[in-house]
Amino acid sequence: MKSHFISDSDFSKFVESLIRSVRVVAPVAKKTKFSFETLESVSDLRLDYDVTILPPKKAIMPVKQELVRFNGNSIESAISAQDQVLLGVHFYDVKAIDMLDELFSQGHKDYNWLAYRQHTTIIASNVQKVSNRAFFASVGQGVQAKGHDGFLTKVSGGYVFDAISPKAEALVKQGTFKDASPAQVTEAKVANEKVLKECPETLKHSTEAVQKKVREAFKKEELWKQFSDQCFSCGSCNIVCPTCYCFDVQDEWNLDGTSGKRCRTWDGCMLGEFAQVSLGGGHTENFREERHTRFRHRMMRKATYLNDKLNGPACVGCGRCSSSCVPDIADPVKIINKIMEA
Amino acid sequence: MSCDCHTDFPNIFLPREAEIVRADQVTASEKHFTLKMKDGKPMEYNPGQILEVSVHGFGEIPIGFASSPTRKNTFDIVIRTVGRVSTAINKLGKGDSLFVRGPLGTGFSLEKLRGHPILIVAGGIGLCPTRSLIQYVLDRRDEFKSFKLFFGSKSPKDQLFLDDLAQWRGSEHVEYLETVDKGEEGWKGNVGVITTLFAKTKIDPDTRVIVCGPPIMYKFVMRELDKLGIPHDNVYVDLERRMKCGLGKCGHCQMNDKYVCFDGPVFSFKDIEHLEEAFS
Amino acid sequence: MSKKVTVASFDFTSCEGCQIELTNMGEHVFMGLLNHIEFVEFREAMSEKADAYDIALVEGSYSREIDRERLLEIRRKAKIVIAMGACATCGGINALKNHQNDWAENVYGDKASMPHLASAKALPISAVIKVDYELPGCPMNKEELVKVVNDLVHGKAPLIPDHPVCVECKARETVCRFELGDHCMGMVSRAGCGAPCPAHGIPCEGCRGFVSHPNYAALEKVLVEKAGFSRERAANKAQMFTSNYLEKLR
Repeated sequence: MKSHFISDSDFSKFVESLIRSVRVVAPVAKKTKFSFETLESVSDLRLDYDVTILPPKKAIMPVKQELVRFNGNSIESAISAQDQVLLGVHFYDVKAIDMLDELFSQGHKDYNWLAYRQHTTIIASNVQKVSNRAFFASVGQGVQAKGHDGFLTKVSGGYVFDAISPKAEALVKQGTFKDASPAQVTEAKVANEKVLKECPETLKHSTEAVQKKVREAFKKEELWKQFSDQCFSCGSCNIVCPTCYCFDVQDEWNLDGTSGKRCRTWDGCMLGEFAQVSLGGGHTENFREERHTRFRHRMMRKATYLNDKLNGPACVGCGRCSSSCVPDIADPVKIINKIMEA
Repeated sequence: MSCDCHTDFPNIFLPREAEIVRADQVTASEKHFTLKMKDGKPMEYNPGQILEVSVHGFGEIPIGFASSPTRKNTFDIVIRTVGRVSTAINKLGKGDSLFVRGPLGTGFSLEKLRGHPILIVAGGIGLCPTRSLIQYVLDRRDEFKSFKLFFGSKSPKDQLFLDDLAQWRGSEHVEYLETVDKGEEGWKGNVGVITTLFAKTKIDPDTRVIVCGPPIMYKFVMRELDKLGIPHDNVYVDLERRMKCGLGKCGHCQMNDKYVCFDGPVFSFKDIEHLEEAFS
Repeated sequence: MSKKVTVASFDFTSCEGCQIELTNMGEHVFMGLLNHIEFVEFREAMSEKADAYDIALVEGSYSREIDRERLLEIRRKAKIVIAMGACATCGGINALKNHQNDWAENVYGDKASMPHLASAKALPISAVIKVDYELPGCPMNKEELVKVVNDLVHGKAPLIPDHPVCVECKARETVCRFELGDHCMGMVSRAGCGAPCPAHGIPCEGCRGFVSHPNYAALEKVLVEKAGFSRERAANKAQMFTSNYLEKLR
């Protein structure tokens, strides 16, 4: 890995030229918040964002994605990956993408994720402003972000750019990069360490202790009912989560009446219909009918069920679920700390 | 302008075309199909595995194989009309096409069953996925010791695979016992829940037991098996959930940390009896 | 699909805005749909009448006893009845008057005694006839209507979502109304509209009705605690489109 430096003005030119050669997806302002969008001008770029509404996984697996297309009795794959650069991803979101890489590779390889992922160059960037519900410093500490190609850190006068992969080295050739000085490298290191001390919320126990105790709390029905008393089952915590990857699959016809597509759409285990099956004659069976059983399932998935597959929790501490929950009951820190203290 | 799209990736959601070579309406709501792959590549699967069956524009549903891989070239499925996809499938007939992905999931571990007495306990539509194993055992009868089969239905008119049942009733290769919850005129067989069949035969404690039926059935069947002293790792269950993708990804069929479509649908009872969401 | 599916459109107590939406679909979509369907009765666009049809699209609430027979007749002639829009599916904005006695005087003044104003409670048409599918919304979502009709043409039961509007706001990354100091009913309201209102700065008023299991107590609580509503206002918030639901909840 090599550390480069690029000045603020050269960085703007670099991004402008990048936009002209490839699709660049990066954080931009959205009212009082931020979102990852296809970047049209460097002036829209907001690397000083705190957290985006949706995680950057949407650039790899959009909310609605075509899987296959049919016409009469013929059917074809709809995978059609194009090169793109995902710019300005915070390390916690890189960790989440790493997890999805792993989960979509285990067992059946899902190229409806992996193909788009392989054609994505990820340029991470340092957290310049910590969001008001973040707890990324205290969750899954044993898991390091690894899927990014390069890492940008804001320093005085410009950015230090760590080129990690050959893809990043190739990008360096497109801009006016110099070798970073030892002082600049140190400044970047300090900035990235400092941010870990600024999280407003903190998990107080180790991943292993949390996994064990949360799992053991499964049968504490009253506790889960208390937690979920104000829950709307609105699925917001699922939809904004960078490690959630559940989806529904539905077919639709085009207007010609013979051709159409099969698409997957992001789904959420908090939604009432998620585990419901039809039995015929208008009857249904719902394997998680009660609100608290769905609420519990989400926490189990984040803190316990996937830990063995991921070597850590399926949570990166971005705080999106906490801030998206209108009654403010989805915060994993509050839930987990309460279970640990019970 | 040249396109830099990359499309040459394998797609696990892309189904293969199968021709319906036989279609029989077996009950008011169930249809029995025999399928043959159009590309000539046979379906290679284990009893108890599932496949995703789809009709363009309607969608996909997961279905257990209802025939044994020992019957070559074709395979069977039974579809009950319950939702959009199954309704569309059951409107099809001989010569029509279905689209399938599979085999998927984990079926019966045959090496753990071979050399032992076998008991299959099937309730209602639970006979469909277990039929893949029943046929297998009958086709490779000398690989197994005694073979008993219990089948329970709501009523005589709900019985499936009438030709099979007629054959099993008189067969020396399987001890077939059946019952219905509610009899009707002309029914001379047993009436009562499926557990009443346990009193009608002697079961070797070394038996490997396969149970498949409605959720309520498991508790009562396990009670009988416990009385017989059959260890829980010798009992296999074939479960139902809201499976969607069939690949262990989409999350719908998750039961605690297990994906029924991927880790199952066949589980050793011992592996899942501690799971709170398995039999509740 | 050799024979076209016949469709008839009717209106009851309503603004006829849903039927106007039918003609607002844009030429491409509307003509595409006309390859598969044929309108046999549609007051907004033609004068013919029909004796039978495959699909009846019914707009408007049931609010007058004299409308009963006409609804029953539609049911007799139609294979499939679709309640179209908020009025037909949940009583709609008309149901606001269900809680008041002096609306006629307030609205019409000295003409309050006009005979056609003599009406009872505004109810969904399912209060009178069996409805096969409900296409909610004020107005109904024309893209959804195309999808539903396209499904029915193929013999597939349409899928109307039963999850809250929040899912669609999050999916399009709309900044939550509560985040901006406003209120919203999206958490208890049925999605399927694509959540255009919050995206354009307006709270969701639940024009598609409630989801099957709304947590109304929790809604009252957040309206008071986060949006600064009085308890009374919070308790009565859902009377705009969802008063008939509210009555069922209580």
